Amino acid sequence: MLENFNFRVIWEYMPLYGQCFFATLWLSALSLLGAVLVGILACGMRLSQSRLLSWPAGIYIESIRSTPLLAQLYFFYFGLPSLGIMLPEWVTGVFALTLNSGAYYAEIIRSGIQAIHFGQIEAGISSGLSYFQRMRYIVLPQALGMTVRPMLGQAIVLVKDSSLLSLISIMELTRAGQLLTSERFMPAEGFLTTAAFYLVIYYLLKAFSNWSEKRLIFKEAF
Amino acid sequence: MISFKNVNKWYGDLHVLNNIDLEIAAGEVVVVCGPSGSGKSTLIRCINRLEPIQEGELVVDNMAVHDKNTNMTKVRAEIGFVFQSFNLYPHMTALQNTTIAPIKVRKMKKADAEELGRETLARVGLKDRIYSYPAQLSGGQQQRVAIARGLCMNPKIMLFDEPTSALDPEMIGEVLDTIKMLAKGGMTLVVVTHEMGFAREVANRVVFMDDGHIVEVAPPIDFFTNAQTERGKAFLSSILSH
Amino acid sequence: MWSFYFHELMRSLPFFMKGVWMTVAVAGLSLIAGTVVGFICGIIRAGRNKILRAVIGVWVDIVRGTPFLVQIFIIFFILPGAGIELDAFSAAVIALSNLTASFICEIVAGGILSVPKGQREAATASGLSQYHQLRFIVLPQAMRTILPPLVGQYVLSIKDSSVVSAIGVVDITRVGWFTVQRIPEGIMVFGLVGLLYFAICYPLINLSGYLERRMTVMTIRL
Ligand SMILES: Nc1ncnc2c1ncn2[C@@H]1O[C@H](COP(=O)(O)OP(=O)(O)OP(=O)(O)O)[C@@H](O)[C@H]1O
Ligand SMILES: [Mg+2]
Repeated sequence: MLENFNFRVIWEYMPLYGQCFFATLWLSALSLLGAVLVGILACGMRLSQSRLLSWPAGIYIESIRSTPLLAQLYFFYFGLPSLGIMLPEWVTGVFALTLNSGAYYAEIIRSGIQAIHFGQIEAGISSGLSYFQRMRYIVLPQALGMTVRPMLGQAIVLVKDSSLLSLISIMELTRAGQLLTSERFMPAEGFLTTAAFYLVIYYLLKAFSNWSEKRLIFKEAF
Repeated sequence: MISFKNVNKWYGDLHVLNNIDLEIAAGEVVVVCGPSGSGKSTLIRCINRLEPIQEGELVVDNMAVHDKNTNMTKVRAEIGFVFQSFNLYPHMTALQNTTIAPIKVRKMKKADAEELGRETLARVGLKDRIYSYPAQLSGGQQQRVAIARGLCMNPKIMLFDEPTSALDPEMIGEVLDTIKMLAKGGMTLVVVTHEMGFAREVANRVVFMDDGHIVEVAPPIDFFTNAQTERGKAFLSSILSH
Repeated sequence: MWSFYFHELMRSLPFFMKGVWMTVAVAGLSLIAGTVVGFICGIIRAGRNKILRAVIGVWVDIVRGTPFLVQIFIIFFILPGAGIELDAFSAAVIALSNLTASFICEIVAGGILSVPKGQREAATASGLSQYHQLRFIVLPQAMRTILPPLVGQYVLSIKDSSVVSAIGVVDITRVGWFTVQRIPEGIMVFGLVGLLYFAICYPLINLSGYLERRMTVMTIRL
C-alpha cells in the first residue's frame, strides 16, 4: 500500500495541513489555559472546609472523570442549542475540552498538594518561616516538582483529545485527514500525515517534560 | 574450592578487578577487607556470576564460572549468598523465603522443603519466627533468615557481603555468631567485613584489597599486627581509630 | 414538550441497552486482549534485550503520541487497502486493544522496574531461573504498583471506546447520536448516555482508588 504513497497530494494539501496544525495548536492552548484555571478553582473548592463548595466541585470532577469526552462534547453540542444557547462550534469545542481537562487538572493539583508531608510544614513553622515563605520554599516547589510530569501528560492528552472536535466539523488536524480522504479517497495519505503532525507535538511535549523534570530535581537539591 | 587466575573486570573505563589471583581451599574461612570502592563486593559477586568477568579464569568447585557455557544454575546451587541489605522477599514469610529455591531449583517436595526450612531456621535461632514476614522481624533476625535461605540449598560455599553493616550495633553479635557456627562446621566461607574481632577469631586468612588490586593476603594475626604495605597500615589505622 | 420527549426517550431504552451491550463487548474484548499483550510487552520492555525494548518503545510512543480517533481511522480505512478486510466492529476491537496494550505495557514495565534490584539478585544467587524469578519474586511484588493504574487504564479504555462510534459501531454514544436526531433534547439524551457510562466507570474508578490506598498502606507496612 505504501509503494504508491502519493506525496504529491500531501504536498498539495500542505497549506491546509499547516492551517489545521495551527488550529489544533491554538484550540489546545486555549483549552489548556482554561483547564488549568478551572482545575485550580475546582481543586481549591474541593479542598475547602465548606460543603457548599466542596460538594459541587466533587460532583463536577467525578462526573467528568466517569464519562467519555465524546459524550460530553455531544452533550454540549446538541444540548446547548436545545436550551436556546447558540454558540459557534469552536466555542462549544473549547468549552467541552476545558471542562473535561479541568477536572483532571483539579485531581493532579490535589495529589501534588496532598503528597507533601504535613511534618514538613510543621518543620517550616517551627523554624520560623512565614506562611508565604513556607508556600514559596516548601510547598510549591515540591508540589510543582511532583506534578510537572502529570501536568504535561494531561496536556498531551488534551492535544490528542482535540481531534474529537473534527466530529463536530471544526477544522483541525484530524479534519484535514478526513477531507483528504473524502475529496480524493486517499485515507493513507490523509491520516498518516495527520498522525505525523500529532507525533511532532507529542515528541516536543515529551522532550519538554523530561527536560523540566531534570531541572526541577536539580533545583530541589538546593 | 575457589580459584581466581588473572581475573580482570571493568565497568566501562573503570578497572574494578585488576589481575586477581587467589586460591581458597575447601573449609577455609577468608575475610575480605579494604576501603570503600576497592572492589570487595565485585570480587565476591563474580564468584556466582552476579557480575561477569571479562578476563582470566575463575573456577568454583571444578566448574568454570568464566566460561559462558557453564550452567550457572548448578554452580549457584552450591553457593549461598548473603547481601548487606538482606534482600528478603517481602511478600513471603521467613519459611517461604527459605523454601522457594529448594522447591523450584532442587525440585524438592513442598513438605520436605518446609521440614528443611524449619530445621534451618531453628539452627539460626528463629524457631518461633518462621511465619513472620520480613517487615515483622528486626534487622538481625532478617539477616539470619537470609543466612538460612542460603543454607537451605545445602551449599558448599557461603559468601557474605558486609552482612552486618546495615545492622544496629546490638544486633551485629547474633549474626556474627551464626556465621561463626558455620565456620566451625567446616563450610567454605568468604566474608566481606570490617569486623576485625570476628576476622581474628575465625578467619584463616585476610585478603586486603585496594583500588581493584589484592594488596595483601595474610593470616589475621600477621595482618593486624604487622601489615606489610603502607596502604594496609593506613587502612588498619583508619578502621581501628573508630 | 419536555415530558413528551422524556416519554419517547424511555421508549428508546431497549435501543440504549443494545448500545450498552455493544460498548461492553468492544471494551471487554479489548481489555482482555490488551491486558494479555500489554503484560507480555511490558515484561519484554523491562527485560534485557535492547532491540526488542527499543522496538516496543517506538510502538508505545506512536500509540501514545497520536489521537485514538486517528488510529481508528487508520485501521478502518487503510488496512483494507493493504488487503485486510475489516468490519467496523473488528476494526474497533483491534484499535482499542492496541491502545490498551500500549498503555498497560508501560504500566507493567514500570511496576517490574520498581522492584528493587536486590530482589532479582537474591533470586539469581539462589539459582532460580529467569521464569521463576519473574513468576514468584518479581511479578508478585510488582503487582502492588501495577494494579491501581491498571484498573485506572481499564476506565480510560472504556471511555475511549466511545470514539469507535465515529466509524459506525452502534455503541452507547452512537445510540445517543441517532436518538438526538429524533429527540432534539441534547441535554436529556446525552445526560442518559453519560449516566450509562457513569454506571460502568464510577465503580471501577473507586476500585482503583481503593486499591491505591490499600497498596500504599501495604508497602509502608513492608
Ligand atoms: N554496576 C556498576 N556499574 C559501574 N560501576 C560500578 C558498579 N558497581 C560498582 N561499581 C564501581 O566499582 C568500584 C568497586 O565497587 P565495589 O562495590 O566492588 O566496592 P566495595 O569495595 O564493595 O565498596 P563498599 O565498601 O563501598 O561496598 C566502585 O568504584 C564502584 O563505584
Ligand atoms: Mg560493597
